[in-house]
Amino acid sequence: MTHALIRLTGLFVVIFGIALITFALAHFAPGDKAQAIAHARYPDAMGIPPQILIDIRAEFRLDDPFHLHFLNWFGQVLRGDFGVSYSSGERVWAIFLGSLGETVTLTITSLVFGLTGAFILASLAARYPGSIIDRAAVVIASVGAAMPGFWLALLLILAFAVHLQWLPAYGTGTAAHLVLPALTLALWVMASQTRLLRSFFLDARAQPFMETLRLRGHSESELFYRHTLRHAMAPALTMIGLDFASLMEGAIIIELTFARSGIGSLFAASVLSRDLPLVMFLVMFFAVIYVLINTSVELVQRLSDPRMSEGNGP
Amino acid sequence: MRAALRRFLRRLSLAVTCIAGAVIAGLWLTPYDPAAADFLDRLSPPTAQHWAGTDHLGRDIATRLLHGGLWSLGLSLTITAFGLVTGTLIGIIAAQSGRIGDFAIMRVTDSFFAFPELVAAVAVAGIFGPSTVNLVIALMIVSWMKFTRLARTLALTTSKQDFVTQARLNGLSQARILLVHILPNILPSILVLGTNSWSRTILAISGLSFLGFGVQPPQSEWGAMLLDGKPYMQSAPHLMIFPGLTVLISVLAINLAGDRLRDLLAPQSM
Repeated sequence: MTHALIRLTGLFVVIFGIALITFALAHFAPGDKAQAIAHARYPDAMGIPPQILIDIRAEFRLDDPFHLHFLNWFGQVLRGDFGVSYSSGERVWAIFLGSLGETVTLTITSLVFGLTGAFILASLAARYPGSIIDRAAVVIASVGAAMPGFWLALLLILAFAVHLQWLPAYGTGTAAHLVLPALTLALWVMASQTRLLRSFFLDARAQPFMETLRLRGHSESELFYRHTLRHAMAPALTMIGLDFASLMEGAIIIELTFARSGIGSLFAASVLSRDLPLVMFLVMFFAVIYVLINTSVELVQRLSDPRMSEGNGP
Repeated sequence: MRAALRRFLRRLSLAVTCIAGAVIAGLWLTPYDPAAADFLDRLSPPTAQHWAGTDHLGRDIATRLLHGGLWSLGLSLTITAFGLVTGTLIGIIAAQSGRIGDFAIMRVTDSFFAFPELVAAVAVAGIFGPSTVNLVIALMIVSWMKFTRLARTLALTTSKQDFVTQARLNGLSQARILLVHILPNILPSILVLGTNSWSRTILAISGLSFLGFGVQPPQSEWGAMLLDGKPYMQSAPHLMIFPGLTVLISVLAINLAGDRLRDLLAPQSM
């Protein structure tokens, strides 16, 4: 119980820390924020009268010292208010929700195909260690881990869009537009997960109880499906949680390379136009999602594996 | 194990010396300047004169790749070394500073750790203006947390071992125990993480430069060269094939060295 309490306190401290780092980034950003807000409010105005800038400085409390300004902003964030975009004047939430769909479609599709591929390859490799397919799995995993994602994307564009002309290279919209980006991200997921799943399967096979079961006359496939799989799931789940960060990084790079709309493109565009409320929201979104996913993975593990409970875990 | 480790480190340093020597010799022997344009010989495919062809300004791609190696490998090594030293120090301090101090240091570490590297780098480099210096600063800010976590865990387990208790009973000072007993024991694992972090940083630098947030195009950094070559994908694919291949091979080589190092340190695991 005390353990859960410490974890929960830790979670809140970390989220506060994330907010503080994010705010500091925006606070020390170069450029006059009052000007930026004024331009967003009056996009057609040729010049901004000084009085309006003074009003804006007062309204957004831009002249407050760092800590007051931060606490004020953090209070709004806790109430779910992330403000309005400098460039479009729309609420940050609305802009974010508008782009979320494309990214979710891309990441879920790639996760499903990538994990399925990794699972099939890794289980075949672990069933027949040392075989051709095992070596192929190791090569695919090593090359995949060293492959720059954007370069893989460019190669696929070169092959399927430029030479074969089967699929569109850039943009969003139809299902055909999804194929190449999802394929790139799926290959990436597959390469990173094959390696881990293979080693987890091999570890599970090497457990002493497996030999006992084998001597009792259980078939190899029964051993694999009933025991190896179950034994390997807990470490695999952890790694997939930790790898969520690289999945998001992959999605950002791939959206930008394929000129797809989505959270990644929105993030890059907001950074380049210094749309600070949007940048702060997205940076916090990426960080908080990561923390929440890893906390829930840990929770699931503690619940499913009694050895991990009450301070015995890592 | 010690002997095998020493042999590996000797071979590794030999390999690194050879590669560095080859790059420097290549830069010295090449008749081309990485920045010299030759408009009469644009977009040439690989030939006997230009081993990897020329780009859209007629610059020799092989020379630019060698030159870019200094950027990509040098910057990434600097960033990783910074992360390794800073992170390990903070981790060891956390392990020594009691419950409250440890909790505080680790929650700060977790807060930084939550930002995916690419997100942090794009935000910092984008807001403060894309440049090589800002890229390096951005990547340094997010380079140390992995080392802190690992160093802390290892320092905690090591300091519970019998030989450390013995040293403490013998009256050795805390600083001496850290320096003589704990640090040498955790360093190999930290180095394995270091190779992994080095290759990830190479990928990050080339990726960020390709997206326009890092080293800017007139420079011959590999990602920036890919960005430069992207418009000529159809007519001159060698502009993007060779830089990408160079990134792939460098990262693969570092990863394989790291895997070998890890196997030597933990022979029982596959």
